[in-house]
Amino acid sequence: MQTTIFAFCGKGGVGKTSLSAAFIRLLKEQYPQKRILAVDADPAVGLSTALGIEPHLTLDDIRLRIAQSIDKGETADAVALLSEAKFHLLDCITERDNLSFFAIGRPEAAGCYCKVNAYLKQVLEMIAGNYDYVVIDGEAGIEQINRRVMERVDCLVLVSDPSQKGIRVISTIRNVAGRLAAYKKCGVIFNRTRDGFDPAPIENLPPVLAVIGDDPEQADRDMRGESVFSLSASSPLYRGAKQALDTLLQETSDETV
Amino acid sequence: MKLYEDLIAAIRALLPAAPDKSCGFDPALCAPPGDKNAILFRSDTAFELGGSGKASVNCTLFGAVPGARDALALYGKDLCELTQDTAFSHLTLVQLKDESEETLRYEKLQDIAFCQFQLYPKGYHIRISPAACKEQVRVANAALRQTPPLSFLNVGCSLISLLKTQPDVAAVKTVFITDPAIDHTALAALARKAKQITAAVQHTFEMNSLDCASCKMKPVCDEVDGLRALHFKKEEERKKHDT
Repeated sequence: MQTTIFAFCGKGGVGKTSLSAAFIRLLKEQYPQKRILAVDADPAVGLSTALGIEPHLTLDDIRLRIAQSIDKGETADAVALLSEAKFHLLDCITERDNLSFFAIGRPEAAGCYCKVNAYLKQVLEMIAGNYDYVVIDGEAGIEQINRRVMERVDCLVLVSDPSQKGIRVISTIRNVAGRLAAYKKCGVIFNRTRDGFDPAPIENLPPVLAVIGDDPEQADRDMRGESVFSLSASSPLYRGAKQALDTLLQETSDETV
Repeated sequence: MKLYEDLIAAIRALLPAAPDKSCGFDPALCAPPGDKNAILFRSDTAFELGGSGKASVNCTLFGAVPGARDALALYGKDLCELTQDTAFSHLTLVQLKDESEETLRYEKLQDIAFCQFQLYPKGYHIRISPAACKEQVRVANAALRQTPPLSFLNVGCSLISLLKTQPDVAAVKTVFITDPAIDHTALAALARKAKQITAAVQHTFEMNSLDCASCKMKPVCDEVDGLRALHFKKEEERKKHDT
């Protein structure tokens, strides 16, 4: 099976999660026969809400269980640990028709996310091949890119608002990801823009996939905690996501040809 | 192997005198292999052995296989007869070529027990928790629709075939239990005890301490004939070797 992996990155609060969810909905609608995996790789844990999914277990829960079993002396061998991880992994994947979902979760302990990020990388390597499309809602900033959590991304989707801060963050992510050869293609979506915003004068931008203005419907839905599946097809977020997805898939199919 | 004898007897006492199905090993009947990272999705799954919170047990024991002949046994319904998630136990008895204490190594036991983690029959998604001694299996609709449908016979032959690649394995008997009337909870307790014995064997080979009073393995050694003697004997050998 040929797997196409989309990863959404950018500054915090620019709409990565909403756009990831919109991509997932579009893929689910357009390709009902294909397998799609949605990964909430953001410890802020928003994608599950955006998709209307209540995960019972997260990747970090599994990691903790395994760590506890090591502490208790129940398991120590690497082979046994891998089997243990595979055993629990299936419990943390929620399946809805052709869509599977899992979340990285929020480590309880204060400090860094290195361990769970390292685990996420292994899990992705292990299971991505079961899916036609994988959509990863990444955490804000460049940590996951830097640590090569998303080692084999096909489409790196950078999301920014029109602020200088947002643009600087996507520029950094692109540079780091480029240095690490972490993606095949890259594009940017400008979200929550005001009337008259034109990205053309901004230098060194990757191809602009879509420019999405304020979306009152999406803002209302967010307030009510409704899933992306109730979003109308005329909303700016839906239309912008569709434009971006169609562009990326067109490019992918052109490359395949 | 003497260490597991009492456990094997206790397991036998929990099972009916005769299985519902039994047969010898035939390599031609092995299940076709699947992909090691393949996920069997719920939508493609007919049922899950040990799923929906039902009992699930995985246990590997070491001892004499009756007649030293590779064999399989099934207590309960076969895969094609099942229609929903069911309690499930999978027990494997391995007879070593050389069971003497002199050649006993923990790694040998672990290598054999871990063999089953490399079993990926197509349409039969096994997941094993070594910590909890559990084994759950998703069985594919497609595997049951094929002619002939996948059966425990195929899976058991694949496991035996895999175990026989280990140089120390003389014979294997693998037992599948889907009969809900059999006490799976008691089997789970015995599986945990088997794991403790294997862990105690490891302890015997790794630890120099002979202070039983402070050792966490004391309850296991108190219960299992031969473990403490094995530990002291190995320690003596080590001392002799050092001097």
